[in-house]
Formats: sequence, C-alpha cells, structure tokens
Amino acid sequence: MSEVTKKTVVVTRFDPDQDEVPKTQSYEIPVQSDWKVLDALNYIKDEVDPTLSHRWSCRMAVCGSCGMMVNGEPKLTCKDALSNYGNTIEVEPLANFPVVRDLVVELDGFMERFKKVKPWIIRAKELAVEEGATRQSPQELADFKQWSMCINCMLCYSACPVVGNDPHFLGPAAIALGHRYNMDSRDEGSAERNEVMLEEGGVFACSYANECSEVCPKDVDPAAAVQQGKALSLLDWAKGLVLPRGSE
Amino acid sequence: MKALIERIEPLIWVLFGAGFMVGSLLLPAWVFTFGIAQPLGWVPDGALAFERAHALAANPLGKLLLLALIALPIWNAANHLRHFSIDLGGYERDGAVAPLLYAGALVLSVVAIVAVIGL
Repeated sequence: MSEVTKKTVVVTRFDPDQDEVPKTQSYEIPVQSDWKVLDALNYIKDEVDPTLSHRWSCRMAVCGSCGMMVNGEPKLTCKDALSNYGNTIEVEPLANFPVVRDLVVELDGFMERFKKVKPWIIRAKELAVEEGATRQSPQELADFKQWSMCINCMLCYSACPVVGNDPHFLGPAAIALGHRYNMDSRDEGSAERNEVMLEEGGVFACSYANECSEVCPKDVDPAAAVQQGKALSLLDWAKGLVLPRGSE
Repeated sequence: MKALIERIEPLIWVLFGAGFMVGSLLLPAWVFTFGIAQPLGWVPDGALAFERAHALAANPLGKLLLLALIALPIWNAANHLRHFSIDLGGYERDGAVAPLLYAGALVLSVVAIVAVIGL
C-alpha cells in the first residue's frame, strides 16, 4: 500500500455559459505516492467535484487524450507522476488551443491540419491483387517508423511558439506525419504532399525552437522531421534548377 | 515580395545552416586568434605579420574562406532574427521584417564579395 499525503491541485475552470474568462479553483486532496497527475484529477471528479471536465481514456500513454499544462508545461497527465512536483500542482488546458470547458480543448483546427498533409499512402497506380504485396525491407521500415509513433496528444502544438503565432503553420505533428509518408518506400505522393508542406505555413515556418521534440512523450522527434523536410526540399529545389521541368 | 521569399526559402535555409556551422565552428577560432591570442602576444612574432596575413587572405582559397566567414553568419543572423521576431508575436509584421532582414543580408554579402575580391 502506497503512502498517502495531501496535495493542493489548482485547476483552471471555465464554463462558457457563465464565465467571461477562465478562473482557478483549488482542491486539497489526499494522494498516494504512486499517483499520476491524471489520478488526482479523476479523484477530484469522482470524490470532490463532479462538475470538473477533463478528457482522458486509456491511462497508459497510448490514446493521447489527457494532454494538459502541468505547472506551465505540456504533459501527458497519465504519464506524469505527481511526485515530480511539490505540494501544489497547477493544471491548465493545453496552451495554443481554444478551450471548450475547464481542461477540455477544441480539436477541430488540429484535425484539419492533419488532413492537409494527406496522411495515407498515395500510389500512381494501385497494384493488382495478383501482382502480390508491396514489399518493404526492415531498413525501409526503419526509415519512417519513428514518425509513425505519434499518438496525436497535441503536446507539441502546445509547446511550439510558431503554432501560437502563425495561424497557417501546419505544426510539428502534422509535418512529422507527412514526412512519415514521404519517407515510406511504398509511397509515391511526396510531390503532391509537398505542395502543402513547402507552402506558407509549411516546414520553413519552423523557428527551430525544438520544443516539440522536448515535450513529445513518445520520442517521435518532430523537430527532426521538420529539418529533414527542409533538407529534402532543398534537394528538390536544386534538382529543379539543373533538370528540365517535369523530369524526375 | 512574400511569394518571392517563399520561393527562395530553401536557399535562405541553406545559407542559414551554413552560417550556423561557420559561425559556431570557425568564427570563434578566428576571433580567438586575431582578437585575443595576437594582441596578447601568444602568437609567435611575425607569424601574423601583415604581409603574411595578406598573402593568406589574398589567395583564392583564402578569399573564399574569408567570404564564408563574413557573409554566411550574416544570413544565419538574418533568418534567426526573422524567426525571433515571429516567436515574439510578430507574425503580422513578418511581411515587412523578412524582406528588410534578407535585403540587409544581401547588401552586406555584396559588400563582402566586393571587399574580398579587392584584396
């Protein structure tokens, strides 16, 4: 049985029907030493104040639902131990997103950006069934696997200074996802995808803060995807200078 | 102007990246040698005498290195300042800031090219 102590959780509250601006509410609750921040929020919801709204699902850092600002930093609350903090913990909704209620943020803009990078395999011509499967070597898989580990928790959007300032910026996770398909040996759609990834708000809008990779709970390293995207576009650009239009 | 900058963005990025490398690897050694070691007398007498230094700089390879040392970090600075301005909430003013910074870097690069050729 783990040890029980008292901690104060200061939660941002916002009810769009009643509040003009968000306010904070403090809860002093008994916590166990092995609790995560999400356990504390669930305790408040279940035992103290059922009106608190927060989003969560899997509790094992897979679904990406429970991202919030903890003491000012974007964290996956089911992975973030309460013991990392002192006796007072501040929990706010993810920065850079519109707030729906309390700790719940609006996802529509985020989802729209994902669609823009066409995150699926694009082929000039689909293989017929009798032609067999498209084969891929372990090395070819390794070339993109890292970028496919994203759980869409949006912590990188919350940490990125450009997301907060540039309304056109695709953002770290969407660029990493587009890069994942560009690097896939089965894919033939990079030219189509790059129309979005290289235009205004694409890879070149990144300001090299690297915060996306710092906060990523799955070590996807979206900043590396952004920089690799820039390097690949440079190659395309240079090829365009020496090769006639339309050639490969 | 915005469309033009968007089109040459890969070129600016490579100048920025090269400037970052040169600025962090070579520039400190340069500043140390000529700014600290030489005035403090740590360099043997005559090793950096004007004629020797000039001969080194006036060699085509020396000119190229000198140009890289001067011009590339300027592009690094211009691009960094532009993104710094955006990070400080300056997305709206970027339409004016970016052309100004890149034009400045271009002018200084041309000045550097002219100066290096004239050595």
